[in-house]
Amino acid sequence: MTIDTDVCIVGGGISAAMLAQKLSELKPGVAITIVEAGTRIFDFENRAKYRQRSLDYGENAWPGDFIGDQAGAGIISRTMAVGGSALHWGGVTNRFSEEDLTLKSRYGLAVDWPLTWADLEKHYCEAERRLGVSGEPGPLPEDRRSEPYPMEPMPLSYNLKVLKEWAEKSGIPFQGTPQAKNTRPYDGRSACMRCNTCEICPTGARYSPDFTFKQLLAARKIELHDGTLVRRLVKSEDGRRIVAAQAIKRNGGEALEYRAKTFVLASGYAWSPHLLLLSNAANSSGMVGRYMAGHAFIGAQIELDARLYPGMNEQHSLISRKFFRCAPGTPYVRHDLRVWESSAGRDPRLKDTNGKLLLGDAVLADWRARTARGAARVRAYYDVHSSAESTLTLDSSKKNTWGDPLPAIHHVLDDATNARKTATRAHILGVFDALAKANNGRVFGVSEGSYLDHPAGGCRMGTDPTTSVCDSYGRTHDHANLFVVGSATLPTAGCTNGTLTFVAMTLRSAPEVAKSV
Amino acid sequence: MSLSRREALKVLVVAPGAAGGLKSLGSSSLQAGDRDQAGDRTVAAIAEVVLPAEADRVAALRRFNDWIANYHEGADTDHGYGNTRVRPTGPSPARNYPAQIAALDTAAKAQGAPGFAAASLEQRRAILEAAIADANVERLSARPTGAHIATDLMGHYFGSSEANDLCYNAAIGRDACRGLAGSENAPAPRATTVGPRK
Repeated sequence: MTIDTDVCIVGGGISAAMLAQKLSELKPGVAITIVEAGTRIFDFENRAKYRQRSLDYGENAWPGDFIGDQAGAGIISRTMAVGGSALHWGGVTNRFSEEDLTLKSRYGLAVDWPLTWADLEKHYCEAERRLGVSGEPGPLPEDRRSEPYPMEPMPLSYNLKVLKEWAEKSGIPFQGTPQAKNTRPYDGRSACMRCNTCEICPTGARYSPDFTFKQLLAARKIELHDGTLVRRLVKSEDGRRIVAAQAIKRNGGEALEYRAKTFVLASGYAWSPHLLLLSNAANSSGMVGRYMAGHAFIGAQIELDARLYPGMNEQHSLISRKFFRCAPGTPYVRHDLRVWESSAGRDPRLKDTNGKLLLGDAVLADWRARTARGAARVRAYYDVHSSAESTLTLDSSKKNTWGDPLPAIHHVLDDATNARKTATRAHILGVFDALAKANNGRVFGVSEGSYLDHPAGGCRMGTDPTTSVCDSYGRTHDHANLFVVGSATLPTAGCTNGTLTFVAMTLRSAPEVAKSV
Repeated sequence: MSLSRREALKVLVVAPGAAGGLKSLGSSSLQAGDRDQAGDRTVAAIAEVVLPAEADRVAALRRFNDWIANYHEGADTDHGYGNTRVRPTGPSPARNYPAQIAALDTAAKAQGAPGFAAASLEQRRAILEAAIADANVERLSARPTGAHIATDLMGHYFGSSEANDLCYNAAIGRDACRGLAGSENAPAPRATTVGPRK
């Protein structure tokens, strides 16, 4: 079966939702078809029930949000459904900083992005409006904004107020983390009810792409073909254009062919480069599946002199952006710094420190004694840079039902990053220590991430077609009508949550996509 | 809080069927109706030892019972983020309870009591300490594991939002949807609807 459309978007996550929404505004009447391998989970009415099952039993709060035979080594989330990983994201919408775009010119590291900060900042504002972000202006002048946040900030809970006062004794300025959560009714969704389970928001206050898809479907602005796996892109005879996307209905195996004026890959850091490799497309540079990126992280707990009440709003946090900047000429280290309420080290326990069994009143008494002092969870995402050997490859030893090899991601950091690893770790632990010492505290439970978070890359953008896959708008250098949007295009992954940047970059691409139709 | 017989009866009657066709958690030497009652009394007797006196034990047992009754074997669990993994829930923890309850009764009889529920508080404590040691349980889990019914009951209670409020003596309401208003203030003192057990 052949389906004709104007724009065929492969992948149904947050980038696809934002692109489709903006495209439908820029080009009313344009035919947009979104093809998503996973299924739609649009039963909002069941979300409170799913939340409760998740709380009580640890059951998947998004039933059916994965595909059993569609996985790969190094992929950090199994979610494949309409809405993608942003179905269950925490809604944190930090911006990168100007330094992320100018690493090469400022520090001689990695690569510069092929766009200016002013350009990106404009699209950050747009992303914040479309997602519905609540936040407060930051205390640092470098974080100036051209527009206010669309919504008033999430109020700091009592715990976070106490922690802010505590943390700022160290001389480090903090603010509430901006979030795609409504502090008042916004875009047809309700205000946050502080349910403490943002990964499954039962009220709709936290943005997830299913809302946008439902709006677009209701207005008949898109076609959504879920449960449909795109397996190959077909090139024109001269190789300069993509003429079709070959797909299969996962349920039943019907073969489909999408024919479109423009194709857009919005399948994230794993599945966008995976499809290009399967299709032998957009890869004259050999850069598809290279420079797989992300940021590393170190976390810890800090015991402090404060009476806290764990459970008030564990999802909200403080952030300091002080360490987003690194003065040229000083040892390079850039990281964010987050603080949450915590109950670590003061949960009820069965045995005391001496191994004595506790029962009944003894458990409660022991628990109460250990909660006299409070705890904070701290974490730093720090900037690391991948080498060209940081790859996504096709693993011919692992294939899906249809015989297609699955992806395997293997992160490799560049020499400069490896050389400064010890100093970076010492710096971050020093910051944790400074926070602790400011209030008679004690650092414990230090842990380091075993993976790179907020992964990106694989189809990196750039101006040189020999070292990049696409230009700054995501248009592939090899095929005039093939775009890649979202996380896969990022040359580096910053040192804070990436989703807002993925969305901002996608929105920046939208007019170029529209022009191509 | 003390359990009424009526409340105690409710504790485990629903659980066995929902947990995979088990008919009773009590001694197999008793008649069916008696078995249910005996099992219920045993679990209530466990609760008196392992749950704090300030807890609403009736409510705690009811929630434990509901949890067991509504457990779904083979359900997809949260596949997580980072080191992601798809895996189903395992067999119901309640499958292990009949043997554990029977063992408690056996131990009580060895000490001269007619059964665990009729043993003195001190005897019950000693029996449970030995049983927990035998089960090699080292820590409490908010979700029952089947390792031992006593620690499962404890973990389920102490991991609850209600227990959190009790510990901090504050109406935190961790698992409730509470709205944003007033969250900048310290939570109000916990409403004392259940007094200390006399």
